[in-house]
Amino acid sequence: MTQDSMQTAVLPVRSGFGLPLLLLSAAGLLGLSALLAGQTAPAVAWPWLLGVLALLLVGAVGIRQSAQGESRTARILPAAANLILAVLAAEAVLRAYAVPTGLIPTPSKVAQSLWAARTVLLQDAYYTFVLEALLGFVVGTLAGLGLALLAVRFRILERGVLPYAALLSSVPIVALAPVVIKAAGLGWPSKTIIVAITVLFPVVINAVRGLQSAQPMHLDLMHSYAASPAQIFREVRWPSALPFIFTALRVSSTLALINAIVAEFFGTEGHGLGFRIQIEVGRFGLDIVWAAIVVASVIGISFYLLISALERFVLRRN
Amino acid sequence: MTILPRAPRRPSNLLPMLGVALAALLLYWPLMLWANSGQAARSLASGADLGCKTALACATQLRNPVIPAPGQFATGFTSLSVPPLAPTSAPYNALVTGGETLLGLALASVLGLVLATLLVRSRSFERATLPCLVASQTVPIVALAPMLAVLLGQYGVQGFLPKAIIAAYIAFFPIAIGMAQGLRSPDPLQLDLMRTYRASPAQVFGLLQVPASLPYLFTSLKVAATAALVGSIVAEISTISFSGLGKMLAENSRASDTVALWVIMIYGAALGIVLVALIGGLERLVTRWRPPA
Repeated sequence: MTQDSMQTAVLPVRSGFGLPLLLLSAAGLLGLSALLAGQTAPAVAWPWLLGVLALLLVGAVGIRQSAQGESRTARILPAAANLILAVLAAEAVLRAYAVPTGLIPTPSKVAQSLWAARTVLLQDAYYTFVLEALLGFVVGTLAGLGLALLAVRFRILERGVLPYAALLSSVPIVALAPVVIKAAGLGWPSKTIIVAITVLFPVVINAVRGLQSAQPMHLDLMHSYAASPAQIFREVRWPSALPFIFTALRVSSTLALINAIVAEFFGTEGHGLGFRIQIEVGRFGLDIVWAAIVVASVIGISFYLLISALERFVLRRN
Repeated sequence: MTILPRAPRRPSNLLPMLGVALAALLLYWPLMLWANSGQAARSLASGADLGCKTALACATQLRNPVIPAPGQFATGFTSLSVPPLAPTSAPYNALVTGGETLLGLALASVLGLVLATLLVRSRSFERATLPCLVASQTVPIVALAPMLAVLLGQYGVQGFLPKAIIAAYIAFFPIAIGMAQGLRSPDPLQLDLMRTYRASPAQVFGLLQVPASLPYLFTSLKVAATAALVGSIVAEISTISFSGLGKMLAENSRASDTVALWVIMIYGAALGIVLVALIGGLERLVTRWRPPA
C-alpha cells in the first residue's frame, strides 16, 4: 500500500487519467490487430511485440490509476480492464507471430467458432450441466444432508463413518470414473453418479461440523424451555449449520461441473462438453476446445454466483 | 438429544470404524452377486459357455465383472503389483504419478508465494488480478489439461515436466490465496514489535510474515494436493505417456479390463490419501513451534 501511494506521488498523472489511459491502450491494441489482419504474417515480429508491450505498459499504468480510491469503479474496473487488455494483447501477439490455429487460436477465431458451433455446444452444455452436474449436485447434497443428520443423531455412526468420509474426500475422482462408467453404462446417469459422489463428501463433513456447532449455552437455554428435540433442531441446530452447509455447497458447485467434464473423458455416448473437448483436441480443433471452455466457464461462474446469492438470501432471512 | 457435559477425552474412533468396515465387507458379497448376476444371466442366455450352470454360480467368474469377486481381486492385485517396480505394475506407476504431483505442488508453492507477495504488497495488483483469479477457479481448469499437454508438447516440453506443470497450474490458486491470507495474519502488535527492533521491510517479511504464513500454506497444500493429483492423472491420459496411473487407467479402460480398473482405482485412492498424509507430516515437521491441533 505504501508503494501505491509512492507511485501516485512519483507519476505525473492524476488518478482521473486512469480511464483515458485504459481506452488508449485498448484502442492501440485493437489497431495493431486490425493492421495485422490485412497481410498474411509480418516478416519480423519483434517490433509488433514491442508495440504490444508498450501499450500493455500504458494499460498497466491506467489500471494502477483507476484502482485508487474506494468507489465502485475502482473495485470493478481494474479486473475488467485486465481481462479485456489480456485478450486484446493475445490477439495482436498471436497474429504478429502467425501462430497456427491448431496450436493457439486467436480470441476472434474462438468467438467465430463459438457462434458457428452454438447449437452443438448448447446441446453439450445441456448434457454436461443440467443432466450431469446439476442433477448430481442435487442428489449428492440431499444424500449428504441425510447422512449428516443420521451421523449427528447416532454418535456411533459419526465415529464410524465420518473418518472414512474425510479420508475418501482426498481420493482423486478420475480414479473412480472408469469403474463407475463401466458399471453404470456410457449414458449420462453414470456421470451424474460420479458428480453426486464428489459432492457428497464435502457436504457430509461440513453439515456434521455445522450441526454440532450450536453453542452449548443456546442448547442449555432451549433445554430449560423444555423444548422438544425437533424444536431444538429447528430453532438452534439447523440455523447454526446453514453457514457451514453453504460453504460446502459453494465449493461443490464448481467441483460438480469440473468433475462432470473430467468424467466425460472416460466414455460418453457422444454428448457433453468434456467429450467435445477431448474429441476436438485429438483433431487439433483448438478453436472449438476454447469455445467449449468459454461456455463451461460462463456456466461455472453463473452457477457459483447463483449459489452465493442463494446463500446471502437464506442467511439474511435466518 | 440430551445435553451432556462434554467428555474431557473423546473415545477412540477405532472400534466404530472397524465395525463399519466389517459391515461393508458383509454387504460386499451379496452386492457383488446382485450386480454381476444380471450380466451372467445375459451371457448364459446368449449361449456362452461360462463353465457354470446358473447365473448366480457364474457371478463370481465373469471375465469383466461389474464388481470383482474376492478371488478375482486377489489375482488382479498380484498380477498388477508383482514385481512392484516393473513398468507395467501399479506401484511403480503410482510412484511416477505421485512424483509428478509433488513436483507440481512444489512449483505451485513457489508461484503461489510470488503471487501472494504481490497481492499483499500492491492493492492495485490485487484489484486487477484477484477477481480474474477467483473466476478462473470456477472454470473447469482440467478441461485445459488436454490442450496444455498438446501445446507444451509442440514446444518440446516432454516427459515428466508437462504433467507437473499442469498439476501446478491447477494447484497454485488455493496456495496463492492461502499464502496471501497467511502473509496478512501477523497482528499489529507483532508488526509494531518488529518496528521497535528497527527491522527492515525484508526482515519483517522473512522473519515474521513468511513463518506466519506457513500453517496457511500447508492447509491450502492439503486442499491443492488432491486437485493436483487429478491434474497429473488427466494430463497422463491426454498426452502420449509411457507410465503413470493415468496411462494405466486409459489403457485398461479401452481394453475394458474391469478388474484392473478396480485395482488401479484403489491404488489411486491410496495415493491421494498418502499424499495428504505426507503433507500433514511435513507440516508437523516444519511448524514445530505450533501446538499440535
